[in-house]
Amino acid sequence: MTHLTPDELIDAMEGLLSEARQSHLAACEQCRRELAGLSNALTEAKQVSVPEPSPLFWPNFSQRVRVAIDQDASTADNWPAWWRWQVLLPLGAVAMIILGLMISVPKQPRNDDASVSEALQTPEAPEALDRWVMLADLVGDIDLDTASAAGVTLMPGDAEQAVLELTAEEQQELTRLLRAELTRAKS
Amino acid sequence: MRPLTELDDSVLVSAAVAGNREAFDVLVERHRRTVYQVCYRFVNNHEDASDLAQDAFVRAWKGLKNFKGQSALSTWLYRIAVNVCLNRMSAKTPAIEAIESTDHFEDVRIEGAQHAMIREERAVAVRKAIASLPKKQRATLILRTYHDMSHQQIADVLGSSEGAVKANFFHALVNLKKILGSEP
Repeated sequence: MTHLTPDELIDAMEGLLSEARQSHLAACEQCRRELAGLSNALTEAKQVSVPEPSPLFWPNFSQRVRVAIDQDASTADNWPAWWRWQVLLPLGAVAMIILGLMISVPKQPRNDDASVSEALQTPEAPEALDRWVMLADLVGDIDLDTASAAGVTLMPGDAEQAVLELTAEEQQELTRLLRAELTRAKS
Repeated sequence: MRPLTELDDSVLVSAAVAGNREAFDVLVERHRRTVYQVCYRFVNNHEDASDLAQDAFVRAWKGLKNFKGQSALSTWLYRIAVNVCLNRMSAKTPAIEAIESTDHFEDVRIEGAQHAMIREERAVAVRKAIASLPKKQRATLILRTYHDMSHQQIADVLGSSEGAVKANFFHALVNLKKILGSEP
């Protein structure tokens, strides 16, 4: 008969091994030795306790949590509206839609206004615009949690791209906020 | 009206989501010890454990509106605490405290200095061994051994399958046995 599998060894430690396998265990020296080794390791681990902190620690801890939540809320309030996920995510989605449209609209030679207007009159163009409107409606109210649950995540380079797309004034404000955060983190 | 401390977790969660900070304070008070203990098991020192536990509760406050009550609040808090600890573990090697609680000093009186020292050395060795386990194995061992969670509950916390939890538990014990076996 085959030796106990890892799953069965764990079951044996927890008293959940089937009767048929228990009879194998009773007869198999190798499985018994392996089980004893695992049980000893578990017993040793169980003996290590967590020291109880000072009784003064707990009231102080609750206070620390309250302060940390307040600080976190005030930090979040300092970020301008345009830097929040609820804004950046739809903006990112719109950027992706534009990219998608650029790819889907047939390419025309540059510096040729006539051919550009021709391209916009192609049968695909209204369809692409419809897609844009539909997607813009879909992502308009999305928040970070909903997006994450739907599998929308940031990719490498997205942040850099977002920064490049900020205006000079927005970049200046971002620099100021990051400096303030670094100073706060150091203190 | 019943005092907040008499209300169950689900009622307190609803109140906290509605903006009642006192309701959240009661939840913190109710679960702070277990959250601290799970954090301590990961980092083995009080200072980091208290920082991590604090961080876990701040995240819980921020994410409370996403708690749907499909699992117990304690399981959800475990999940947050374990994630906070796993993230920290990626960034920092934990410092292990050599000497711990006042119980240690009581042991000294009862068992004699030499015996207590040997026990303490062994405890440090076990902590080091657990600290050297791969992240998932460590998390599984901690939750199963010290928090008495079922394999299914651990799977929920770690976002894996029950089979994977059992396999991680097995390998954690095998590695622990190996490491402790090679200790002098």
